[in-house]
Amino acid sequence: MFRGDAGAARGIRKRYGDFSGGRKPVFLFEVNFKDRKQNPYKPAINLKNGSVRLKRGDFDCIVDTGTGAGRLEINPSQQSFDSFLRTLYSWILIRCGGCMLHSAGIVKNGKAYIFLGKSGAGKSTLSKLAAASSGCPAGRPALGIEVLSDEINLLRFEKGSFRVYGSPFWGEMRNEGRHGSWPVGGFFLLKKAKANRLGDCTKSEALRLLLRCLVNFDRSPETAGNVLRTAARLLANARFSRLEFTKKDAGFLELV
Amino acid sequence: MLRIKRDLAYRRIAEELFIVDAAKSELHELNGPAAVIWEGIASGKNGPGIISDIVSEFEVDEKTARADLAEFTEELLRQGLLTNANS
Repeated sequence: MFRGDAGAARGIRKRYGDFSGGRKPVFLFEVNFKDRKQNPYKPAINLKNGSVRLKRGDFDCIVDTGTGAGRLEINPSQQSFDSFLRTLYSWILIRCGGCMLHSAGIVKNGKAYIFLGKSGAGKSTLSKLAAASSGCPAGRPALGIEVLSDEINLLRFEKGSFRVYGSPFWGEMRNEGRHGSWPVGGFFLLKKAKANRLGDCTKSEALRLLLRCLVNFDRSPETAGNVLRTAARLLANARFSRLEFTKKDAGFLELV
Repeated sequence: MLRIKRDLAYRRIAEELFIVDAAKSELHELNGPAAVIWEGIASGKNGPGIISDIVSEFEVDEKTARADLAEFTEELLRQGLLTNANS
């Protein structure tokens, strides 16, 4: 339920409506739009007495974890709402044995490949090259290549394996994204180079980068334990490799 | 009596032991004797029990194992990852 700014509510319904699964909602928010400043910029999550509070300068949300009912006060901008959703989903996914990864995601022949890298490692560059190779902004499923996101990818653990979900969360490419899920094909530790090359990496290297790329604003030890459990499960269930790629073209796709 | 600081999450993954101090956003990695010492303290073992584990797992003499234990616990106390329940 939205209150206070019909234009903002319309914009949000239009932006995120396609990602609604159509099932009975797990969380139900009363949203009150109010002018708020973005600072502090980093979200904080606190769980106390059966409710969770997600707070940043431009939003403040309290949810009853038992009933799923919540109140959200938020600045009436799409950027604020996007940040709120990212914060909320990062928390939900970790609790459910999944995670949100700061990464590029590409679907090739029905499987999702996740490219992990620190800032500047080439996630956006790689995503743009993959999209360009298919001739349209987010790739084209008919050609077997589709970019899921150049910034954030959502993973869930379902029936013994991980699946990657499409999302509205994008970086520089600013695509709309689409609803859907794909089985994980593999993970790559990303590095820009003068030539395309695939190599091995140790599990420790993979884990270090995985933990660095895993989005988590909840500082509780319980969540830290869940993060370690999910990371260990990812390492056990998926193949991790090192990918050096050149920004000349999308030739790296042949190595994926 | 040495104890692991409350609110730390740790897990052995791929031959290494990873410790997350979420409050400080810090990640610590232990391997070899250090991981064995940590797991010994976590399971409530005393000094001789941990020394025995190091001796049998890494084929070192007892004197070396004792020195490793003393040096590493001092380091963990300095970093605030362990607390001394007697102090």
